[in-house]
Amino acid sequence: MEDELIIALPKGRILDEALPLLAAAGIEPEAALFDDSSRALKFATNLPGVSLIRVRSFDAATFVAFGAAHIGIAGNDVLMEFGYSEIYSPVDLGIGRCRLSVAEPAEQAKDDDPRSWSHVRVATKYPNVTRAHFAGRGVQAECVKLNGAMELAPALGLTSRIVDLVSSGRTLVENGLVEVEKIADVSSRLIVNRAAFKMRAGEIGALVERFRQVAGDAAAA
Amino acid sequence: MTNAITQGLLPEGLRDRLPPQAEAAANLLRGLLDSVAAHGYERVQPPLVEFEDSLVGRLGSARRQDLLRFIDPVSGANLALRHDMTGQVGRIAATRLAHYARPLRLAYGGPVLRVRGDQLRPERESIQAGAELIGRDSVAAVAEVLQLAVEALTQTGLSGLTVDITLPQFVGELAAGPWPLAGARLADVQAALDAKDIAALRSVGADRYDALISAAGRADAALAKLAALGLTGRLATMLDDAAAVIAALGDTPATLDPTERHGFEFQSWIGFAIFAAGVRGEVGRGGAYTIVHPDGREEPAVGFSLYVDGLVDAGLGEVKHRRILLPLGTATEAGTRLRAEGWATVAALDDAGDARAFRCTHVWNGVEAVPL
Repeated sequence: MEDELIIALPKGRILDEALPLLAAAGIEPEAALFDDSSRALKFATNLPGVSLIRVRSFDAATFVAFGAAHIGIAGNDVLMEFGYSEIYSPVDLGIGRCRLSVAEPAEQAKDDDPRSWSHVRVATKYPNVTRAHFAGRGVQAECVKLNGAMELAPALGLTSRIVDLVSSGRTLVENGLVEVEKIADVSSRLIVNRAAFKMRAGEIGALVERFRQVAGDAAAA
Repeated sequence: MTNAITQGLLPEGLRDRLPPQAEAAANLLRGLLDSVAAHGYERVQPPLVEFEDSLVGRLGSARRQDLLRFIDPVSGANLALRHDMTGQVGRIAATRLAHYARPLRLAYGGPVLRVRGDQLRPERESIQAGAELIGRDSVAAVAEVLQLAVEALTQTGLSGLTVDITLPQFVGELAAGPWPLAGARLADVQAALDAKDIAALRSVGADRYDALISAAGRADAALAKLAALGLTGRLATMLDDAAAVIAALGDTPATLDPTERHGFEFQSWIGFAIFAAGVRGEVGRGGAYTIVHPDGREEPAVGFSLYVDGLVDAGLGEVKHRRILLPLGTATEAGTRLRAEGWATVAALDDAGDARAFRCTHVWNGVEAVPL
């Protein structure tokens, strides 16, 4: 088992976008991965010694940071939030594109001047990024950690602002919110555990190179 | 809300080592130090606590907030617990042993403490062992130190060692010379390179440095890719010197990473990290650096630190003792003889002794050792 190579994939939308890239890089998962009713968490691939695990997006980064998985796919939103020093992200896969933004009720945004803020209350899944972002401009952010449905927080008076991923912006509009500030552009990255990158340089280096080509081809297309 | 401190609870990041790991830790530390002592590295033992000011601002030293600090009731000065012994050894070399001939070879080992752990390594106390060669940082000096680190680790029973060579000044030299950063800040480029984050590298407009990320990997291939960049002067010398150090490693697999800093910020021309099969993270690291003397004079040095706890956690250093129960009334001479033969004897003080409960493997029946 020592030599098994584990790739951590995030569940959901990113997984659907990632599978064609994996296929192009020569990694074909067993059929059970595509079966949503399957309760399996670990899957074999066409490559002997290479397995996939399917976990929550934040957990993909954690598995890789600790070396429990060697390679993974994670958005830079997750990487920024954890700030794990043991993760390399050598390939921008160009999938899962969105942005991490501050949003607030449209009503409030009308006469809100961010320059005069000293303290903000923010509902977010990203307390570390949020605190660092606001601290960087001299504003103290009190974060309420939520795991989903951030958009409800302002409407119900939990917090006046949220920090969340925005892609089309439709969810924000439907909840009467407007994006007031972009914190970062987000896309999914191929991530590699630092020790694995060194200790299995040949094998992992070749795989990273394949993903670089695949991502490059996809970007060029 | 504060929870009452229950009996036996230790502060976060601290732990007791019990049998047999406590003995394994001591064995490993002794084994590592014996290995380096055999190469002429003499042991020094700096104190656990020093003046805060002498721990801060030294090489390898943390920022003030990374140290556990307190006010000395005796002197009224701020004291701090050491978080790393390398700087202390540098202080000794630059002061009390400044008059010793160079190169000066020193070794050390003991506990260090950092004020907070992180998610990946929650431990706050750890055992550090190391050796420093002071007065040289030539290829020969680096090769000696690196070979010594590999030998000391191999001697503990560790296998599957990989040495990662880094060139901490390489990026700075490139930026100051042939690969100028058009507007980008060096710190941003280095941060992106540290994470091998290609997207971040592009976003600061340093796309060209991407070549360094793709060069990182197995030493032979990496050296070939870096040679193909056609660098000259000091950069070419760095690569030649790195190649010489890698050649000196012989059969030990090596990788080369021209951009990695990861705690190598204080290193000068070369740094290295050692990884091993079955141990999470690094088992040791080191490199060349500069010691600053009290008069401001700078002196080159090279050394390494090894992390004993990772070795203990990997199950190394444990000694299987033959442990024998001596029933009540066993003759003193019998015990003496058994100990001389390498047994650990456990003397019963009354009749209630169950040999197994005392973790014995044998019982003395007055004539011979009876296995349990």
